[in-house]
Amino acid sequence: MSIVDRAETAFESRELVIARWINVLALFGLIGVLAGSLFLQFGVGEQPCPLCLVQRSGMMAIAVGPIMNLLWGMRPLHYALSILGAMVGGAGSVRQVLLHIEPGDSGYGPAVLGLHLYTWALITFAIAIAGCAFMLLWSKPFQVGDTGVAGERGFLRFIALVAIAWVTIDLLIVGISVVPECGLGMCPDNPDDISGLGGIGGVLMTLAVGAAAVVIAAIADRRMSTSEAAGS
Amino acid sequence: MLSMFILWIAVFLGIFFRKKWVPVLAIVSMIWTLVLLRLHMTDPIPLNF
Repeated sequence: MSIVDRAETAFESRELVIARWINVLALFGLIGVLAGSLFLQFGVGEQPCPLCLVQRSGMMAIAVGPIMNLLWGMRPLHYALSILGAMVGGAGSVRQVLLHIEPGDSGYGPAVLGLHLYTWALITFAIAIAGCAFMLLWSKPFQVGDTGVAGERGFLRFIALVAIAWVTIDLLIVGISVVPECGLGMCPDNPDDISGLGGIGGVLMTLAVGAAAVVIAAIADRRMSTSEAAGS
Repeated sequence: MLSMFILWIAVFLGIFFRKKWVPVLAIVSMIWTLVLLRLHMTDPIPLNF
């Protein structure tokens, strides 16, 4: 390999690392939105409406792309899945915005920083679509034959595993919490509020989920390192 | 609506075990989400798409 080729390979791998960090940050952005909605559900006691659950499903769909990029390697297909997921979730958000668009309508649920959660969700879906489109403009990370973070020990792998574990735990919490609210069928249009854990309880719950994600990521990271050592 | 999240849990498990059917199941999950969204469009508002 010539010096020029080596320099080019190093440059491409640096671009791959940047792309991975962007995917990790995207997952943490999503975790922030999900943590806000779970805080309102379990801390404040605001049960999610059916359209809110559709939007949470859209959030999970967005997460699929970055998780696949980090675990399987960078592929345009993965960004395409996130774009489609954001469109599905965005359909739910637009529907809910339209439901409360008339003047004098106070909207559904409490407002956060002046906007209702479905408006924040619509903003999130729009950012996800734009973000994926920008990542697709950048072809270098797709050209290095990336196979994911699993085989590359380091802080980036650990933090990626934390983000992936955190989103997965959120998915389990969202899925399990549907059962007491709706049973196995459709959810009521305007579910009754429940007695929440309170502000401090909600924050502690969010921190506990984060701590669980760190522990799971540490175990997964260690297992990957062990299998690497056994393979070498 | 639980079915929607069971599908996503299956998608996530597929990603962790590197299954080839993940993109297909992800698209099925999105279509199922749209079906449930349509079933909940019961309010007679304008632009009732």
